[in-house]
Amino acid sequence: MDFSIVKQTLINEAQRRGLDEYEIFFTQSEQLSTETLKDEICSFSSGVGSGVSFRCIVDGRMGNAATELFTEEELVSLVKRAMDNASVIENDDPVFIFEGSDKYETVEKPNFDMPSTAKIRELALDIQAKTYAQSDAVTDGTQSNVFAMSTRRELINSKGLELSDTVKLGGAFAQAVVKQSDEAQEAYDFVIGYDGVDTLPKKAVDKALSKIGATDVKSGKYNIIIDGAQMRSLLATYSSAFSGKQALLGLSLLAGKVGEKIAADCVTLVDDPRLDGSFAQTSFDGEGVATYKKNVIENGVLKTLLYDLSTAAKAGVKTTANGQRSSYANQVGIAPFAFYIEGGEVSEEELLAKMGDGIYLAELKGLHAGANAVTGDFSLESAGYLVENGKKIKAIKGFTVAGNFFELLSSIKQLSDNVKFGMPSGLTTFGSPDVLLENVSVAGV
Amino acid sequence: MIDQKILEEVLGVAMSTGGDFAEIYAENTRNNSLFLVDGKIDKIVDNTYSGVGVRVFLGERTVYATTTDLTREGLLACAKSAAEILGELKTNISVSLTKTRVPDIHPVRIHPMSADMRIRTDILKCACFAAKEHSEKISQVQGTLLGVDHGILVANSEGLFKEDRHVRTRLIVNSVASAGGENQSGSCTPGRGMGLEMFDLFDPREVGIHASRQALVNLSAGYCPAGQMTVAIENGFGGVIFHEACGHSLEATQVGVGMSEMCGKLGQLIANPKVTAIDDGTIAGAWGSVNIDDEGNPTQRNVLIENGVLKNYMIDRLGSRRLHMPMTGNSRRQGYEYEPTSRMTNTFIDNGPDKNEDIIASIEYGLYAKEMGGGSVNPLTGAFNFAVREGYIVRNGKICEPVRGASLIGTGSQILRDIDMVGQNLDCGQGMCGSSSGNVPTDVGQPLIRVGKITVGGR
Repeated sequence: MDFSIVKQTLINEAQRRGLDEYEIFFTQSEQLSTETLKDEICSFSSGVGSGVSFRCIVDGRMGNAATELFTEEELVSLVKRAMDNASVIENDDPVFIFEGSDKYETVEKPNFDMPSTAKIRELALDIQAKTYAQSDAVTDGTQSNVFAMSTRRELINSKGLELSDTVKLGGAFAQAVVKQSDEAQEAYDFVIGYDGVDTLPKKAVDKALSKIGATDVKSGKYNIIIDGAQMRSLLATYSSAFSGKQALLGLSLLAGKVGEKIAADCVTLVDDPRLDGSFAQTSFDGEGVATYKKNVIENGVLKTLLYDLSTAAKAGVKTTANGQRSSYANQVGIAPFAFYIEGGEVSEEELLAKMGDGIYLAELKGLHAGANAVTGDFSLESAGYLVENGKKIKAIKGFTVAGNFFELLSSIKQLSDNVKFGMPSGLTTFGSPDVLLENVSVAGV
Repeated sequence: MIDQKILEEVLGVAMSTGGDFAEIYAENTRNNSLFLVDGKIDKIVDNTYSGVGVRVFLGERTVYATTTDLTREGLLACAKSAAEILGELKTNISVSLTKTRVPDIHPVRIHPMSADMRIRTDILKCACFAAKEHSEKISQVQGTLLGVDHGILVANSEGLFKEDRHVRTRLIVNSVASAGGENQSGSCTPGRGMGLEMFDLFDPREVGIHASRQALVNLSAGYCPAGQMTVAIENGFGGVIFHEACGHSLEATQVGVGMSEMCGKLGQLIANPKVTAIDDGTIAGAWGSVNIDDEGNPTQRNVLIENGVLKNYMIDRLGSRRLHMPMTGNSRRQGYEYEPTSRMTNTFIDNGPDKNEDIIASIEYGLYAKEMGGGSVNPLTGAFNFAVREGYIVRNGKICEPVRGASLIGTGSQILRDIDMVGQNLDCGQGMCGSSSGNVPTDVGQPLIRVGKITVGGR
């Protein structure tokens, strides 16, 4: 069923039921992905899908329902389900169907068209061959993955707002497995888009080889540099603390701290929905509000939390246009866009030299379990390199690093100048430079 | 869900370019879940997931295509896009299906979506209000009553045609205790492959109180000391240790491509002889049970480790081709968007020979992990980590003060040998296990066990 018919069916039913305020949010996606094993393509997947969500205000409360099943019967029942759900909601949150912003900026995304299946096969096989060619130690289990996806979002509502955009994303991964004298190790690297694919095999293999022969480390307090790629994972884990809703509910330790110093002077944390060069840019959030760039932390001072329309009204502030909705299946929820710590002034090498002796943390694992967004506490399985006189001298593994994220923000000594961005998920991307910390608890042997 | 004639036609197209096996998986899932915060119903998620995945095999290669367009044309286009990857049109294959009834060993008495909404909101409020009233220090309570009705259809080129429905219910309560600008949390998350009759087994109030008690314990706790020590891990969700440290490494997903430290170890003593571990997808009404797996095979009780000896892996169709071993009813996926792979169902360490009181009494100094959080593993190296949600120091055989923020790390092959006492109070806990085929409900379980030496992360 074409979306224009889906739309009209929902509008007709909404009007028949006398609804004044409602919104239809539609997403349509296609994706391609392939994986290799040994010297051939072992799996290939493709998909097309669409879904729609309907939300409406009944007696001052918002109800939602969503579906992928585009039959007349289902769509008609979707309106009733949303209305029924509204009647069960008990919170007194102000609710809005948005009339639209004055102006929506145009976004300039990288040129990227959905590739042919032949193209992604060729790319994947090429990465795989080059990965095996890097070293005799590369062994089976080594895989490459190339993917592409495109998601179109369309939002229309009873206030006459009609917005749409398309986010396209492609990327490639190389996962190298190496074996030397009976020890197996693995590492991966990725690129966003297909530029730089040629650099993947060497990076993945070098990283895997550098982990061979890793030793234990003694428990104690160490100076530490956290790789930007790991720091951004920590930031992602704790990003809910920056939600205005979590703060209002007493679930964020940042509640009531706007205007206060919560991080070291060198820390500026940015949320940028239209980050230059990013694939996941958008000019409007999931409620149709025009997005904009803001500093969430500026020189260590918390400037704002993130808000959607409802939470902003409740908190008595303006929305920051962070009411996110990356798919029809998700209700509006507060989340950042490109959320990153700004880079500092020294190179990675200079930062290592500055630390002198300590640990370079290259991996943090199990963040979904070992890090608690409400308390800020973490205790995480780690791996990395022992650093002496500013040089990584040997690989270490099997230790944990423990601390508290909010204390960590305050104790950052210095930042490297290169912000490392992760793969976008929906419209959210995290980024961070390498960060230098002092006196961190390490549990080893 | 889909007419048999159309399924046969679609499978024919899927096989038309030289594939040696084709399969259609269709899903129709309703998720209707209530969320409570601040004492009020805050959100209802009410989603229908509906779509199809067509998979074609050629030897050990697979092609997978998905669509939400369930019309004949949409399904044929989907099958064609999969088939085209394998090569040119060769011949029209005719497939004829025979529908087989699936015996339901998990019948549902009170379907969560047909029950009065009032009954459901009452259950959720009962739990959350009891949690809030437990102490003045409880500053916030969040609750979820999850209701999922997951309908599947599997048909394949060997003539298999089955439909099944799996209903599950879960109550999740998270409590936050606050004092002096500090927050600590506690949770309780029971779930079953049942309808609302699950609450004949669980008093919602007890679930809420459990979460708040744990938050208070953590609020009063100091940081866990770090280092290697002896650890006793309690039953229930404590079984996550086996799930992460060993279970994932026994999935054909890993073993079939040589990416597991358990490769080539069948018949070998890999664990302390006190350890017997089982994956059983047939337990009536359990969270991780299903009648048939996502390739249409009945689930089984699979003994993975018997008295320390590795007996079997968990194997799906692709794994079966790679390992030249029979399938074990372990093929699972979150939904049509995911190509299935071998996954766990209800996985646990069986009761052992040691008395629980002897286990605690045997520890001079160590950690008692009363409740575990989640964790993760690298199956290639076996390196795992998991979080301790509620822990206590053990001194001279007695459980003493609580400690917080602990994590346990090690490698699977090592910890299996280091489990040196196995108690007798087997029980399971519920989790959502994430892997390449999405998030699937799994039970983890064990009796109280003792690990002679393991690295405890703390500070």
